[in-house]
Amino acid sequence: MAPAFPSGDDRADFGTGEHKQFSFHDIVLRNRLTALVVDGVDFCRLVEQGFLRSCGLETQGVNNGDAAVELIASGAKFDLIIIDMFLPVMDGLETTRRIRALGERCKIVGVSAYIGENDREAFLAAGGDVFSEKPVSPEVLIPILRELDGQYSNI
Amino acid sequence: MDRNRLQHQVACMRRSLFDQGYLDEPFIQLEELQDDANPNFVQEIVTLFYSDSARLIQNIEHALNSRPIDFDKLDDYMHQFKGSSSSIGAKKVTNECTVFREYCSAENAEGCIRSFQQVKQEYAILRRKLEVYLQMVRQAAVSRTA
Repeated sequence: MAPAFPSGDDRADFGTGEHKQFSFHDIVLRNRLTALVVDGVDFCRLVEQGFLRSCGLETQGVNNGDAAVELIASGAKFDLIIIDMFLPVMDGLETTRRIRALGERCKIVGVSAYIGENDREAFLAAGGDVFSEKPVSPEVLIPILRELDGQYSNI
Repeated sequence: MDRNRLQHQVACMRRSLFDQGYLDEPFIQLEELQDDANPNFVQEIVTLFYSDSARLIQNIEHALNSRPIDFDKLDDYMHQFKGSSSSIGAKKVTNECTVFREYCSAENAEGCIRSFQQVKQEYAILRRKLEVYLQMVRQAAVSRTA
């Protein structure tokens, strides 16, 4: 039996008086959606893939931009790509540009441990769609997934 | 120990980890990934965090001990470490990472060294607290099936 973590009020208000708006369990997908996670840190990639799988997506992960571009160039199709801006060798911005240059039009979410307005603008200019602080939260991801799944937004 | 009392203790300890700012929202998201198909997920993810981030900490220490200090490389390593820490919801650790980055941006070696001591301290404190907490969670799980 899995250890159960405190639920109910203890979850809803974890001591700060804040109440969560979304959970990764708040979405039920009607369609098969796939996602690629591009993150150079193994731990972060596993966490991001774990969240996406809990939402019902099939996921694949790579640890660098070259591998991501190669995968797309080989014909692999994804509904969503999550890219860490900090990648070894080829950074997230260049990875995004090259993926777009291949004609890939799927939703691309950029994530970074540090975010600033310049970073966001650079990412959008590179062809990205949404820029988020790491880790990507359900508040950011759920509306995107609903859109990809053809659901109405509940925000 | 009485089962209800144990579960109450687990809940109290968990609340204190959040109230005292050691953990925040992403940890809750990770807890929600634990289920009967992945019964030890949180323990596994915490273990993975500490083993994975140990390498990053070593890299930072090595970079801080190099002369001259390569502040760009230092910033890169801390970027990765902060990404990991924030992904597990290690709030105090990530706050100290932000302080470190300010010193790094200013190329203030002494500030970097001092603030990195704080990073490591918070990292170690959280590790101890999580070990105690997860042990209590396991005990509570055993008591439920007993």
